[in-house]
Amino acid sequence: MASKFGYAGGIPERKVRPIWDAIDSRQFKNALKHVTTLLAKHANSPYALALKALVLERMGKPEDAFSASLNAKEHLFSNDSLLIDDLTLSTLQIVFQRLDRLDLATECYEHACAKFPNKMELMMGLFNCYVREYSFVKQQQTAIKMYKLAGEEKYLLWAVCSIQLQVLSGNGGDKLLVLAEGLLKKHVASHSLHEPEALMVYVSILEQQAKFGDALEILSGKMGSLLMINVDKLRLQGRLLALACDYTAAADIFHKILESCPDDWECFLHYLGCLLEDGSIWCDEAVNDPVHPPKFVSCKVSHLTDEQFDSRISIASALILKLQTDTSDNSVRCPYLATIEIERRRYLCGKGNDDNFMDVIVQYFCRFGHLACFTSDVEMFFEVFTTEKKTELFGKLMKNNDTLSTSPTKALGLSISLSKIKQQLLLGDMFKSSASDVEVSCAQMFEMYCKNLPLSKGFDPQESMHGEELLSITCNILVQLFWRTKNVGYLVEAVMVLEFGLSIRRYVSQYKILLLHLYCHFGALSVAYEWYKSLDIKNILTESMLHHILPQMLVSPLWSELNGLLKDYLKFMDDHFRESADLTSLAYHHKNYSKIMEFVQFKDRLQRSSQYLVARVETPLLQLKQNANNIEDEEGLLQSMKCGIHFLELSNEIGAKSLTFNEDSESRPWWTPTLEKNYLLGPFQGISYCPREVLTKERVTSLKRDIEKKSLLPRMIYLSIQSASSSIKEHVVNGSATPGITLELKLLLERFAQFLGFSLSEAVEVVKGFSNGERSVVSDSNLIDWLNFTVFLNAWNLSSHELVHPDRNERKPLIWNILDSMLEKYIFEKVRSMERQLCSPWSDIQLLMQLVTEPLAWHGLVIQSCLRSCLPSSKKKKRSGPAHQSSSNLAHAITDSVQQLSLVLEDVMKWLNEWNKRPEDENSEGILSLLRNDGHNDGPGRVFHILETFISSMSNEEVGDRIYHSLKSWSPADVARKMMTGKLKVLMEFSAICESKLKLLQSLKQQIAQV
Amino acid sequence: MTTIRRFCCNDLLRFTNVNLDHLTETFNMSFYMTYLARWPDYFHVAEAPGNRIMGYIMGKVEGQGDSWHGHVTAVTVAPEYRRQQLAKKLMNLLEDISDNIDKAYFVDLFVRASNAPAIKMYEKLGYVIYRRVLRYYSGEEDGLDMRKALSHDVEKKSIIPLKRPVTPDELEYD
Repeated sequence: MASKFGYAGGIPERKVRPIWDAIDSRQFKNALKHVTTLLAKHANSPYALALKALVLERMGKPEDAFSASLNAKEHLFSNDSLLIDDLTLSTLQIVFQRLDRLDLATECYEHACAKFPNKMELMMGLFNCYVREYSFVKQQQTAIKMYKLAGEEKYLLWAVCSIQLQVLSGNGGDKLLVLAEGLLKKHVASHSLHEPEALMVYVSILEQQAKFGDALEILSGKMGSLLMINVDKLRLQGRLLALACDYTAAADIFHKILESCPDDWECFLHYLGCLLEDGSIWCDEAVNDPVHPPKFVSCKVSHLTDEQFDSRISIASALILKLQTDTSDNSVRCPYLATIEIERRRYLCGKGNDDNFMDVIVQYFCRFGHLACFTSDVEMFFEVFTTEKKTELFGKLMKNNDTLSTSPTKALGLSISLSKIKQQLLLGDMFKSSASDVEVSCAQMFEMYCKNLPLSKGFDPQESMHGEELLSITCNILVQLFWRTKNVGYLVEAVMVLEFGLSIRRYVSQYKILLLHLYCHFGALSVAYEWYKSLDIKNILTESMLHHILPQMLVSPLWSELNGLLKDYLKFMDDHFRESADLTSLAYHHKNYSKIMEFVQFKDRLQRSSQYLVARVETPLLQLKQNANNIEDEEGLLQSMKCGIHFLELSNEIGAKSLTFNEDSESRPWWTPTLEKNYLLGPFQGISYCPREVLTKERVTSLKRDIEKKSLLPRMIYLSIQSASSSIKEHVVNGSATPGITLELKLLLERFAQFLGFSLSEAVEVVKGFSNGERSVVSDSNLIDWLNFTVFLNAWNLSSHELVHPDRNERKPLIWNILDSMLEKYIFEKVRSMERQLCSPWSDIQLLMQLVTEPLAWHGLVIQSCLRSCLPSSKKKKRSGPAHQSSSNLAHAITDSVQQLSLVLEDVMKWLNEWNKRPEDENSEGILSLLRNDGHNDGPGRVFHILETFISSMSNEEVGDRIYHSLKSWSPADVARKMMTGKLKVLMEFSAICESKLKLLQSLKQQIAQV
Repeated sequence: MTTIRRFCCNDLLRFTNVNLDHLTETFNMSFYMTYLARWPDYFHVAEAPGNRIMGYIMGKVEGQGDSWHGHVTAVTVAPEYRRQQLAKKLMNLLEDISDNIDKAYFVDLFVRASNAPAIKMYEKLGYVIYRRVLRYYSGEEDGLDMRKALSHDVEKKSIIPLKRPVTPDELEYD
């Protein structure tokens, strides 16, 4: 803080130093004492007041801090003679920023700059304010003023970057770029440029206007020497030449780069593209999502004549051959992979043939097949072949593998590559081989892993072991076997294999990810969560990796864990949004201009993240679920959410937003390629194995609809509570109903009905039809929506009477009746339908939990609201005439409903208790029994048998102490037990939720008795 | 097969395969962005065919006078791309930039004293143990400050090992 000292606002430095010292050492009380003393003498000093605000804010008193800072601002504005210094302003700025009032900080600086128009320090502060507010136009204006005043290159570049940001945000376009170019040109003419990043900005301004020639001229001139990394300069030149369609010159440049960087694959692709006069690779850059770039290089049909094409290809081949001979480094792969790419281009132009193409791949295999990245290197080339040809190629690779004599580790690497090709690129030969053949190959994979464990003898536990991938492959084949046979034992076997692998080395993240998805499938979500936690996913990794666990947690009763996940994630994102502009400011000050656009674009990308929006909507819903047993708490919570209005706004805006998807889908197992799809639940035929699904438009639309729909809920819950209570008040004290609420709820019901595919009146008819057993529109995927709709419809109906006029003699309004029976029917149905199997899929239980924690909970709130208004303690207890009759009907409705829902929940509890009563050993023995066939018959158990035999046969000498101890201490029974306790833990959490709801219903019963 | 280029923000969303490694720290955003905003030439990423991230290096240049030096903050390679000399290429790049562009005297880095494979690798790359930093890692494990002299340190003064270990408070830079 030393830089903060000075003669600020007329206060001597020695008087403020103790305050800053106390703040720096977080002794805020002490700091406040000093501030109070200071204020006694300088009551009107904006600086002293700003310090007070700062201390109060740090003490966690935002309101007091705000009032003190406003006071400081007022004095700052009112005292004309006062000298305004940056120290006062920057102190105030810190407070306003922390209070999320950037606008007020900006006002202070604007005022100061107006008063002292030529003070650079103040203008710098003002510029920073505009950076924080993303006010690009004002940034530009301020920077220009600073440039005029100081004449420094830096400020000109600030202005130019501000212009680029305006263009980026869709304002101004061509005219602004011309302006930026003009400004730079003028400056260059008199002063030239002195920073490499300034030159880069100049070039990009020209490139944006397609003035490639001008840009090239600048680069080859004197200023070009600013770019000190020669390869970077060449890359830029090559790119500009290619964009200008001067392919010959561009190819020469890329040729030069390849000579110095023979392993630069991207450069080779650029080189080849230029030789063949194909600019697709540059066009794609603009179209593709930078976070999910395509794996394959697109290329267009060549317009070259046959002779031209052949001659260009031979030029490329000659260069590649030269690079191969010149390079002594064995790890350089590019010139070898390049031969495959050249052959691919030939092939695509109808000039190559299968044999040649396959041959170059085989050669590459012989050279680099042992590397872990071999499969991903050649993946794109396999895509060119038909299924038959792929199989033929695979045969050739197998044949060659047999002829290669090599070290054990390389041999293992080659075998792994072949297995990966078979699994990933040949689609596992899905329906060609019999299940028992697949079982045999699965057993081979696992045996290979065991056999090669001695290769990793003596390895540090932190070090990757040889053959680790084999267990992931084994797991994937086991899942494939499950898929074909629907025998769940294979999945259990997969769990065993992965757990075994993790006991030998606990850092293999791929195993953990596969396991967490398998555990989720079995409902052992708490174990899945533990594995997820062990991956240490934090900060930006949450954005790319949270998708592995979040969707399952959202429909689970593990509320506190879910709360933790959502809180950490939102905190990370919101912190970034808050601090991002300050970091952009840092880039401005360090003259790293290219990072400015990058930072702004990145923040924008994260703000539009689909996962972020989901988390923002799900967080309040979780809180509402957690507090639904107490209407007062729920109302307090709703108040803090501005009664759901914020979320309504989000719901209205989401349609126009373009969402970003930042998940790392590569890390997902093949059987659940996206968040929404889980092929372990089927379909078991008709989809291709390993479907690596790209982001589809349908996915974006459905996600947007989901967010739009869910963000209506807080408001609808709020309005339902209001509507229910006003219905009673209306009966009791005539005319006190709130038509606004009824009307708004109706509008939201109309919107909600649209999500169900109906108009409101149609949806009402559907609901009425439920009483006659008509349920054809309801499916597992929309069940919760229909029930939520019915809850809100019922609440609305209580106060509106627009819809149904209940027979006064009936005990319950019609919709209410339907709602109770639907809840009963579906909950019973789910409970009865669920198998008591230990390893049954989890989806039905998820729905059951949702039924209880969503529609039933919201309905519970409506009941609580009605009852509260009925209670004699209410002021409006005087009953008279016809209203009394109606109100008494409601009381009956409440009584009936509470009774009925209690019975339903008791049934669920009974079912849950049965689970809990089963002895632990019986449970785990049940799981292990799925694997016991001694490896002789078809079906699960073969791999498990090998595993058990291996453990008992391995010796300390063969695998070393560490691995030996891990092998010996591993227990399948422990895994089975863990699986079961994980599942039971989730069920017990659910049981606790049901119990708390039952308690609520019981207390409601008691309250009714008092009415 | 390495296209080495400057690291950019979008790479933060693509480096999962590298950062899932338990020894690779995922820092907070301001840490990464400060490096990008201040020392973009010291933050490079290597990409493989199919646009996969192979690994990256982040570092900075700091110090005064003859302690002006390049510093390696993190260098890491995804399991799929190990044993291909990638870390060496990335380190060489940072050394070249420190030497040729910033005219630094040496490059240094900190490593856990227990991380024998890494220490061995750095030694192969020409780094020597300059000093031991007591309880450098979370107050528990010692760190080793390793250095490699660059061409401007003609007499290689910067890498003469200190005789006694130091405490983290005694370090000149964070």
